[in-house]
This record gives sequence, structure tokens and C-alpha cells, in this order.
Amino acid sequence: MIASANSSPSCDHCGLPCDQNLIDDRINGTALIFCCHGCQGAYRIITGAGLGQFYEKRNWQQQGVPDAVFQTAYHDDYLQPFIRETEEGTEILLLIEGIRCATCVWLIERILSSQPGVKAARVNFGTHRLKLVFDAGKTKASTLIKAVARIGYLARPFTREAAAQQAESAHRSLLIRFGTAVFLSMQLMGYSLALYAGYFQGIDPQTRHLMQVFAALVTTPVVFYSGFPFLAGAWHAVRNRAPNMDLLISLGVLVAYGYSLWAMLAEREVYFDTAAMIVTLILLGRLLENAARGMAGSGIDRLLQLTPDLAIRLSATDESEQVASAALLVGDRILVPPGQRFPVDGQICRGTTEVDEAIVSGEARPVLRQVGMTVLAGSLNLTCGVELIVTCQAADSFVARIARMVEEAQSRKAPIQSLADRLAVVFVPLVIGCALLTSAYWLISGHDLSLAIVNGVAVLVVACPCALGLATPTAVLVATGSAAAQGILFRGGDILEAMANIQVAAFDKTGTLTCGRPEVKGVVPAVGSADDLLALAASLEQASAHPLAQGIVREARTRGVKVDTLMAEAVPGQGLFLTTERGVIRAGTREFLSRYGVVVPETFSSVLTEVHLAVDSCYQGVLYLDDSPRPEAVDAIAAIKQLGVEAIMLTGDHEAAARHIVTPLGIDFFAKMTPDRKADWVKAAQNQGRTVLMVGDGINDAPALSAADVGCAMAGGTDIALDNADLVLTRPDLGKLVQAIRVARRTIWVVRQNLFWAFFYNVLMLPLAAAGEITPIHAAAAMALSSVCVVGNSLRLRQRRG
Amino acid sequence: MLSSTITLIILSLFLGLAAWLIFIWAVKKGEFDDVEGPKYRMMDDDDD
Repeated sequence: MIASANSSPSCDHCGLPCDQNLIDDRINGTALIFCCHGCQGAYRIITGAGLGQFYEKRNWQQQGVPDAVFQTAYHDDYLQPFIRETEEGTEILLLIEGIRCATCVWLIERILSSQPGVKAARVNFGTHRLKLVFDAGKTKASTLIKAVARIGYLARPFTREAAAQQAESAHRSLLIRFGTAVFLSMQLMGYSLALYAGYFQGIDPQTRHLMQVFAALVTTPVVFYSGFPFLAGAWHAVRNRAPNMDLLISLGVLVAYGYSLWAMLAEREVYFDTAAMIVTLILLGRLLENAARGMAGSGIDRLLQLTPDLAIRLSATDESEQVASAALLVGDRILVPPGQRFPVDGQICRGTTEVDEAIVSGEARPVLRQVGMTVLAGSLNLTCGVELIVTCQAADSFVARIARMVEEAQSRKAPIQSLADRLAVVFVPLVIGCALLTSAYWLISGHDLSLAIVNGVAVLVVACPCALGLATPTAVLVATGSAAAQGILFRGGDILEAMANIQVAAFDKTGTLTCGRPEVKGVVPAVGSADDLLALAASLEQASAHPLAQGIVREARTRGVKVDTLMAEAVPGQGLFLTTERGVIRAGTREFLSRYGVVVPETFSSVLTEVHLAVDSCYQGVLYLDDSPRPEAVDAIAAIKQLGVEAIMLTGDHEAAARHIVTPLGIDFFAKMTPDRKADWVKAAQNQGRTVLMVGDGINDAPALSAADVGCAMAGGTDIALDNADLVLTRPDLGKLVQAIRVARRTIWVVRQNLFWAFFYNVLMLPLAAAGEITPIHAAAAMALSSVCVVGNSLRLRQRRG
Repeated sequence: MLSSTITLIILSLFLGLAAWLIFIWAVKKGEFDDVEGPKYRMMDDDDD
């Protein structure tokens, strides 16, 4: 989120606006301000290492550093299972949180390289993974993680899951198949060129035969090695009697290849180049789609990595020992230091702390947790160390349950049958029928069998369009590329297609339809003027980083009310107080004020958050705050309805709060929806045969996001939501969603046109082939024309914006 | 004439093979794992 930096100064390290508690510093003669000592330390380390250019070069879209990063500390025993010994040295893989731009990658690598004992540090820009090789004799993994944490990046160890490793090797094998096809096709081009020239200008039959043999030699591996994925897919399709795109491609490739082999022996013209070209281009298409999808990583892995693998268990005599989180039993007592995530669900038995549950609930504000209250695995302990009693085992924790739901939803999600696949169902029998009819005709009209077969095969060759392989990938590539430039990221062609057919759009409330940021909606003074009350509240609240407090201060600034700098003290979760010569000023909840004998009058609202003020026992008034709808929400929802899509809101909040938001939007809603009920709702809508788009941002939306035909997350949401989304909007703007639907619809329209052109020229050639008059030059012209049309048509998607 | 053509073609095939082997080696070594980063890295690496 971009900070509304009207005139407030921002921290020179993390960029967050900081008008309270600021630390002044002077480094190399430049006056600087920092929001905390951590940021100050980070700045000193970075400039001290001579890497100050980081601040000039960086290009952050988002401010701030990861929560509690400066408190991060890992124990070496904990890291031991993640460390591997290789021939290069000791190796550990880390997942880095807080990387926003390429300069961050550069900074982390430089800082680590300057540490003694580090042999190699390499961050993958795409996956934010760091491979760190060091000398175990000279340094320790914990020291290095600390070094990264001190400059404001959170490094977490991770093990490469079997599934991720498998995906990586699958990607590499596809790359090798494609590379092989390209190299051999380049060789083939030389022979084909010679053969084409020979066709026009005459060629010595012996040389022609030689060229054909070499052409066959290089084509064979392209068809059978590089093309193996399609052949396997086609075989699968034949066995299941379900024609698909693979079958159509394989048919085209095998027929062109087989016919050419026969033609070579019968001293006719060959089409090896067609077979090789189909394979190469389609592999290219798959590679590009894989790359778009690959960014997704695996959300579930990261979900489970949120919970630490080790926990500190306390014995009856308060002795602590480190145990694996999975080994914790219900009833065990564990200690969770500040800055660490809770390993399991539990009930606090000692201590009070503030917990960041953003990852679990999607709510950005920290919540107060006291003795007797429940904390959930994966949430972050912010302020104080607490002891808790384990209430359920790691495998049953909230995060683990969500992860299972996500996994289940993903596996249950039916793959979208693409347009080309549906076409194949009709087209495969049609082409084979045409070929059979041709053969039959030639046989009946009294020609010999071999000629009948040759003509039948010629029909197959001509009718199987090679541009078919290009029709979808080129359109998808151009559309995703131009959408990405506008901040709309599609994760593959099938998503574009599903997006074009969306019938229902379901929205989460907080952070999706609303800004997720409370704003002052009303100031009701009991004495004096509204501005006086606001000034008093803002002066008190400006000492707090609480979202409600920031909302009040923001409002005071906008209204031009004078805000004094007072050093109020905070009572977590309740309010603030300050002793002045006027008396003790208190601001906070109704309960907080009542406890000090303030008589708080009844208020009528059940929807808005209230902040009451009092000086000693004299009641001053109340401020109402509310999370307001996004300014563009009304227009965006109207546009979505206009596109013929039904809009609905699913929220975990209570009904009054939900109604409050949807009334101006004019849409239906379902309140009090838990994560699994949201997912169930999506599935129920799908069972009615409707295509569902889900828009959300929290971990509580993750199951619904994966269950939906298209899951959409907006920037600023949690990582998990982003990982499970098929569509990501890089700017939190609902207008982009409307644009995404428009882009998708236009793309599918272009794909349809492409498919038409891919077939058009080839179908024109059909009568010629059926008549036995097919010549290589006709076939080549048809193939080239259809390819040029398809690529040109796809490029049109780049031109139009909107 | 024909034998020299064959020799040349086979020679070109060997060249292609060499390039192909280098490609396979590069893929196995993980050169293509991060295709996004290097373009930025180039701008930052000003070995001072």
C-alpha cells in the first residue's frame, strides 16, 4: 500500500511515515530520521559496508520491513536439520521475506559475501530463495541469518519438498526436449531449404534422396523424443476414448512424419519440416505457459512453513527443552518468545502479549491476547514472551487444517477443458472420416490400393493444421504480457478462458471491498466543539501505531486541526491515558473508561468502532470509526454487473457490518462465513453449473480461492492468498478486475478467430488433396499463411488498451 | 561432389551436437532456473 505521505516525514530505511517516536541521526553529515532503532541499525550497517547506493537504486512499491524482523533469532540446533554438506561447503536454503526489488537481492548478496566464512550467496529473484554456502568452521548459520535480519529481511530455513523438486525436474526435462527440438529443427531447415530449391530449379535425384535421408534422421528424435509428451497424452486419450488437443497434434505430427517416410522411399516430396515445426512450436507454447505458472511456487508449502518446526517445551519444574513441534502433545506447556510464530494452537497460561493474526484472519491490526485466550498456530507473537498450554497437536492446528482444505480444493478442481480440446472432440473424427472417404472414393473408382491410401493420407496431412498449436499460446502470450504491464497477472491460458466465462463474482469484505483501514466517520462531542474533541483525541493517539489511532490522526490532519505531541501511555487492547495539569485524559473503549468511573452514555451504532474520551471522570465525547468501502468499489461493481456477472459478498463479519458495506453497492451477501463455508459456497455454486470468480486477500479466503474457477488476490493481501490465486492484481484497485474480465473476453474472441484462420487455409486445400493433386508448394503455402494470420491476429491484442 | 556434401553435412551435425551438449550441461547446472534476475543483476554489479 502506498503511504499517504502528505507532509509527514518517512523513515529513511523502511520508508514508513513516522511522525511519532522518531529517532534523529546524523550519518556522514546527512540528517536522517528513523522509525525505530532497528531501522537505524540497518541503515548504519548498509552504509557502513559501503553499500549506501542501495537507497538510491531501490524501487520499492511497498514500504516497511517484515514484522519483528529485528528480533529474529534462530538457534543452531533448530537449523541443523536444514543444513547439508556438499563438496562446495556447508549449504543451507533460506526463504527471504521482504524482497521488493532487484536491488534488495543485490544488497543481501553483498552483505552476506562480506561476512567471514561465506563462500557463495545467491538469491533467486523469482522465488526469493537464497542458497547459502559457507564454511562451518568459520561461521554459523544462525550468525548469517542474524546478519540478514539486521538489514531488515526475514530469512526462514526451508527444505525442498519432494513435490517442488519434481516440478523443477519436470520443467528442466521440458526445457531439454524443447532445446533438442530447436537444434534439430535448425539442422533440418538447411536440408528443407535445399529440397525446396530443388523442387523449383531441379535437383539431382541422388542428392535429393541424400537430403531426405538426413532430414528423416534429424526429424525422428524430434517426433519421438521431443514430442513424447504429446504422444503419451494422445495414447492416454485413445485409451480413454476422449479425443483431446494432444491427439490432434499427434495425429498431425505422426501422419506428416509417416507420410514423409513413405514418400522418401517412393521418391516423392517430403514434409519432415512440418512435423518438426509443429512439435517445436507447441513445446515453446507449453514452456511459456509453464513459466507463467511457475511463479506461483507452492502455496501449501509456504503455509506450513509458517509454523516453526521446533518448540520450547517446559517441564513441570520449568526446565526448557527443544522438541519438534510435531511431537507436542495436548496439555504440554510451551514457551513462545517474542518475534516468533506460534508452533501449535494453544491457550495462554502466563503472560500478556499482542499477536499479529493477519496471516490467519486477514485483519492487519494486532490483537491483545491474555491468560485464558486462544492463540492460533502461524500467528506472530509481537511484544512479550508467553507460556501456553497446547490445545491441539500440530497436525490438527488451524493452519494445518487450512492447508488440507486448500490441497483438497486444488485436487478436486476439475481442469478447465480448453477451447482447443473441445474442438478436438469434433475435429478428430471429422478429419479421419474425410480421409477414409477419400480413400474409399479412390478405391471404388477403380484405382489401386496404394494410390487410395496415399490420397487419404494426403487429406490428413493437409487438414491437420499446424497453426493450431500457435492459435492459443500466441494469443495468451500477447494478452498476458499486455495485461501484466497494466498490473493484471494471469497465471496461464486456461485462467484467461475461465475468466472470460465468469458468471458469479464473490468478494471478501475486509481489504477487498473495503480499504482495510479505519476512518473517522463521526465526531460527537459531549462538551465543546467537534474540532476540540478531535484535537484532543489526535494529540493523545498520535503516540500510538494502532490503526484506529492512525485513522484519528489522519482525520485531524485532513481537517487542519492542530495536533500536539503528547507522550501518552498505551494499555494494549484498551486505550491510552496521559496525566496533564487538566487531569488524566483517557481515550479508549467503553469498558476502559467505565473502569475509571466515567459514565459513558448509551450509543446507538452496532456497526462502527467507538473511541470514547474523558478527562478525569468528565466525559468528553465519542469518535466513530469505520472501515470504508474502496472509492472505486461502486463503479467497479456496476461495471461487473453490466458485463453480465452476478456480484456477491462473502464475509466472516456479522450481518450488520456486512449490510452496512453492501447497501451502497446493491449486491447480495452472506455473513458469518468461516473459511470452509466460503469454499463450500463456491463449490455449491459450481455444482449449479456456474463459473465462479472469488476475490479475496486473507488466509481465510485461501480455500475458497483455490476452489473457485478463478481465484483473484490483490496486492497487499497475504502471501498465501497471492499463492493460491490464479489472477493477481498488483495494485489494489477493483477497476483492474473489470479490465481483467474485458481482456480475457477479448483474448478468447481472438483465440476463436485464430482457430478459424488455422483451419481456413487448410480446409481450402482439402479438395485438392482429395483429388490427388496436392503439391508440396500448395501445402507449404497453406501452412505458412495460416501461421502468419494467427500470429498477426494475436498481436492485435497488444494494440488495444482499456 | 556427393561425398564432399556428405562430409560437410556430417561436420555440421557434429557442430550442432556440440552446441546441444553445451545446452544440456547448462540446463543441468541450473543456468535457466532464474531467468528474471540476471538482467537486473547486470545493472548492479559494478565491481568496485
